[in-house]
Amino acid sequence: MQSPIDNRCWMLRPDVVSTVLNDGAVILDLRSKFFFSTNPTGWAIAQMFETGTTRDAVHGACRKWGAADASIPEINALIDQMISEGLVEPVNTPAAATNGVAMATWISPTLSKHPEPLQRIMVSAFDPGLPLAE
Amino acid sequence: MSLAVTAQKQCTAAYLCGPVKLSLTFDDCSLQTALDGLLSQYDAPWPAPATEVFVTIEQGLPPAHIPEPVGVYLRSYRLRVDRCGTHLISFSNVGVWMDFDEGEKQAQIIVPHHPDRETVVEEVEQQLVLLLARAWTSQGWTPLHAGSLIPPGKTNCVLVCAPSGVGKTTFISALLRRGWRTLGDDKVLLQKENGSVVARALSRRVHLHPALANWFPEIRKIEKWPRYSRWTEKRMVKMEAIWPGQWIDSAIPTGLVQLERAENGPTLNIEPLDSVRALNSLLRQIAIPSDAADARLLVSCAAAMAGRLRAALVTVGNNAFSDSSTAGRLEEALRGLLP
Repeated sequence: MQSPIDNRCWMLRPDVVSTVLNDGAVILDLRSKFFFSTNPTGWAIAQMFETGTTRDAVHGACRKWGAADASIPEINALIDQMISEGLVEPVNTPAAATNGVAMATWISPTLSKHPEPLQRIMVSAFDPGLPLAE
Repeated sequence: MSLAVTAQKQCTAAYLCGPVKLSLTFDDCSLQTALDGLLSQYDAPWPAPATEVFVTIEQGLPPAHIPEPVGVYLRSYRLRVDRCGTHLISFSNVGVWMDFDEGEKQAQIIVPHHPDRETVVEEVEQQLVLLLARAWTSQGWTPLHAGSLIPPGKTNCVLVCAPSGVGKTTFISALLRRGWRTLGDDKVLLQKENGSVVARALSRRVHLHPALANWFPEIRKIEKWPRYSRWTEKRMVKMEAIWPGQWIDSAIPTGLVQLERAENGPTLNIEPLDSVRALNSLLRQIAIPSDAADARLLVSCAAAMAGRLRAALVTVGNNAFSDSSTAGRLEEALRGLLP
C-alpha cells in the first residue's frame, strides 16, 4: 500500500527542458547537463509531470492507454527514475487534470540516460566543445 | 596632486554579422583595430534587414553596485555569465565586464587596465561572441558550431559536427576540391522555417592550417596570411581566394556527419547513427545556457532537425588524406546522406 508521501504531486523542475524527437522525446536537465531519451509511452508519462501529477494519476492515465496491472511496476520504475535523477520535484499543488495525450498502443515506458553530459564549461558562447591541442 | 585628463578621440565602427548589425563606439581606437579580425569574418550576405545592437567599449572599472557574475547562466573558460531580467552580466578572467540589455539592444563593455593586452583583447572578443550568440538567438536563429557540405547541383547540405581540432576544415577542404560547396567550415545559423530547418552561412572564410598544403597543394600560399590567433597556426582565409565560387548562402540540412579522428585506426570508417545520437551530436555543438526559456529554443530547433537527418559517424585516420582514394570514398558516403 502506498504512503501519502509516495503519492505526492511531482512536477518537472523548471530547469528541465523537454522536446519531441520523432515519436518519443528528449529531456535535458540544464542543472546536471545530462539528457535522457524516452519512447512514446515514457514521453506521455513525462508530459503529465509538466503540469504536476501523482503516481496514482499516472497509473490511471496508463490504464486508459491500455496498460495492464502487470505494467504498474515498470511505470513505477520510470517514475522512481525521474525522482532519483532529480528531474521532478515535489510540489504543494494538487495534481493537474490528466492531459489529453492519446496513445494508440501501450508499450513499456523507457527513459534512457545518456552516459556523457553536455559540456558544463564551454570554450565560448558559440563553441561548447573541448578543443584538441594542435 | 592634480591629474591631467586628456580627452581621447572616440572611434566608431559597424559590422553586419548575419541578422545582427553591431554598432560599436570605442574610447580606445587601438581596440577597434584589434577586434576587426573577429568582426569582419562575418561577411556572408544576409537577406533580411539586420537588428541593430549598440555597443560601447570603454576603459575603466565595472560598476561596484552590480554583483560579480558566478556563471549560473553560462560558464566558459574565459567568462562567467548571469542573467538579471533582460540583462546578461558577464565577467571575464582578467576583468572585462559586459552588461548586455537584450530588451534595449544595448551593451556596455568595460575594459580594465591590465598588463596582458593580448588576453584583454581575447576576452573582449569572447564578450562580443556571447553578445552575438544571444542576439542571433533572440532573432530566432540557433548558432551551431559545425561545418557543412553541399554536393554540386544540390541545395541540401550535410552538417559536419566535431569539436575544434578534430578536422572539420580538412574534411570539408577534401570535398571542396571535388566541386562540393559549403556554408562555412565551423559556423552556421539554423532556423525553423515552414516546418523545416534552414541553415545559413555567416562567414565566407575558412580556417586553414598551412600543413594541409601537404595534401592540398592549392593552399600552399596561405602562409603569407596572418595567423588569426596566437594559439593556432591556422589562417583565416577568404574561400574565394582558394576555391572560388564554392560558397553558398543557405541550404536545407538533410544529413549529418559526426566526425571523429582515429590516431591509429583505419583510414576511414563509416557507420550509421540513429536520430537520438544525431541529436546528441548537434547538442554538443550548441552552447546551451542554463536558462530554460533560452535553452528551449535551441534544443527544439536541434530536435526538429535531428528527427529528419540521415546521420553517420565518420572516423578518419590521421593520415587519411595522404591516400588519394579517401576523398572519393567520403564523397560516396556523403551522397548516401542526401535525398
